[in-house]
Amino acid sequence: MAAAPASPAPMWCARRSLGVVFQDSSLDDRLTAWENLEFHGLVYGMAPRHRRERSETVLALVELEDWRDEIVRSFSGGMRRRLEIARALLHEPQILFLDEPTAGLDAQTRVRIWRYLDELRRTRELTVLTTTHYIEEVEGADTICIIDRGRIIAEGSPEALKAEHGSRWLHLTPRDAAALEAIRAARPDAQLLGAHGLALPADDGASTDAFLTAFRDRLTEVRFQDPTLESVFLSLTGRQLRDRADDRRNADKAAGRRGGRR
Amino acid sequence: MNGVVMALRGLYGVWLREITRATRDRAQLIGGISRPLIWLLILGVGLNPYFRGEVYGEVRFVIPYTYLQFLFPAVIVLNIMYTSIQFAVSVIWDREFGFLREVLVSPMPRLLILLGKVLGGATVATLHGALVLVLARFADVTLSLDQVAVALALMFVLAFGLTSFGVILAARVRSFEGFGVFSNTVILPLYFTSSSIFPLDPALTRAQQAVTYPEWLVFLVQINPITYAVDALRGVLINFNQFTPGWGIGVIVGMAVLFFVVAIIDFARQ
Repeated sequence: MAAAPASPAPMWCARRSLGVVFQDSSLDDRLTAWENLEFHGLVYGMAPRHRRERSETVLALVELEDWRDEIVRSFSGGMRRRLEIARALLHEPQILFLDEPTAGLDAQTRVRIWRYLDELRRTRELTVLTTTHYIEEVEGADTICIIDRGRIIAEGSPEALKAEHGSRWLHLTPRDAAALEAIRAARPDAQLLGAHGLALPADDGASTDAFLTAFRDRLTEVRFQDPTLESVFLSLTGRQLRDRADDRRNADKAAGRRGGRR
Repeated sequence: MNGVVMALRGLYGVWLREITRATRDRAQLIGGISRPLIWLLILGVGLNPYFRGEVYGEVRFVIPYTYLQFLFPAVIVLNIMYTSIQFAVSVIWDREFGFLREVLVSPMPRLLILLGKVLGGATVATLHGALVLVLARFADVTLSLDQVAVALALMFVLAFGLTSFGVILAARVRSFEGFGVFSNTVILPLYFTSSSIFPLDPALTRAQQAVTYPEWLVFLVQINPITYAVDALRGVLINFNQFTPGWGIGVIVGMAVLFFVVAIIDFARQ
C-alpha cells in the first residue's frame, strides 16, 4: 500500500488495493447477492465483463452461487459474512482487512471462512490482516500481534511466540484418588484438570522424567501438551478473554447498583 | 480518460442502487400512487364546483380554469416533495446500517457518491411526479409532448433540489422515528402555503389581495419557494402564471444549486 499522498490519483490506486470486511454487516440487504457485488464492481470502476467474471469467481469461492439472485435480507449471519468476504475480494485487492470475521458465527462457518482465506493466501498474492478474539484461529498466520489494552505486548510468528511465552504441559490421569493426592503432595505446582486429571508444567525435561519414573505405575493416561497460542495469550495477559472478565465486572457493578437501590 | 470512465461507472452504480431499492419499496410506490388519487379525485373533484365566483349575476371561474386543472400541477409538486424529502430516510439508513462505510472505503470521491445518490433520489421523485401526469385526462388537462418534456425537466431539477434538502435534513436528524414527524411538519406547511390549493387571485390588485386574504398568509405564500415551483409548472402545464414566469425557473434552479452545495459541505464533514 505504501504511504498514499493526498493527490487524488494515488489515493484511487491505494484504495483499490484494499479490501475491507467490517465487523458489522455493510451489505445492502434490499439488494440481491449479485446486485451487491455488481454495485461494488461499479464503485471500484470495473469493466462489465471483468465484473461478471469476478463476481462468478468470488461467489463460487464462498459457495453462494445458488443464492446469487436472493435478497440479502433472507441470508443468515454466516452467509452474509461469506458474501462480504466475496465482495471484498471482487476487485482483487492486495491487502484484505478483516475485522473479527468470525465473531458471532457457528463453528462450521468459522472453519469454512478460514478455509477460504487460507486458500487465497496460499494461491494468490494476498496479504490478509485480521483481528480476532479466537486466537487459535490465527495459528496458520505468518505474524501474530497480541494487543492488550491498546498496547502491543508481543509480536512474532506463532512458533516464536509459543517458544518464547508458551509452556509445555503434561496432562495425566492418576489411577485413583490416593494416587492423585500423592502426586499433588509430591508436586505442589500440579493443577487440577477436571475431576480426575492433573496438569504439570513440563518445560524442565529432567524433573518430568524423574516424575514419570516415580509415578508411572499409578497413572492411567499421560499426554504431553505442546504450547498453544491460547496459553501464550494467557501467560502474557494473565487472564482469559477480556470480554469475559469485563462482563463479570459489569455484572458485579450491576448487582451492586441493584443492591444499593434496595 | 480511464479515470473518467471509472468515475462514471461508480456514479452509475450509486444511482442504480437507489433506483433498484425504490422498486423494491412497495410502501413508497403505493404512497406515490395513492396520494395523487386522493388529492385529485377526492379533494379536487369535491371542491371543483366551489371554485367560481359570481360577477354581476354571471357565474364564472375565479381564474379561467377549473379547480381540478388548477390543482393538477400542485399535486405533481406534492408528490415530488414527499418522495424527495423521504429520501433522507435512505441516507439515514445507509448511515445506521453500515452501508455507508462500504462506499466510503471505496475509491469513489465523496462528491461523486453524493451526486449519485441525489441523482438517484431525484430520478425516483421525478418518476413519482410523472405518475401524476398519467392522471392528466381525469383533470381535464390536455398535454402536448413538448409540454410534457419541459415539465419533466423542471420536475427533475426541482426533485434534485428537494432531494439535496432531504440529505441536509438527514445530516441533522438522528433517528427514523424523529424523521417521520419532521417530514410532515415540513412538507404540509410548505405545500399549503404555496398557493397550491387556492389562488392569490391575479385579477385583484395587491391592495385588494390583502383584503381577501390576511396579510400574513399572503406574506407566507410569497416567501415560500415552493410557490414559485408550483407556479412554473402551472405555466407549463395549464399556461397560467400568478407571478412573472421566469421567477419559477429561477427559484427551482436556485434551490437545486444552493441545497446541493450545502449537502456537499454536510456530507464532507460527516
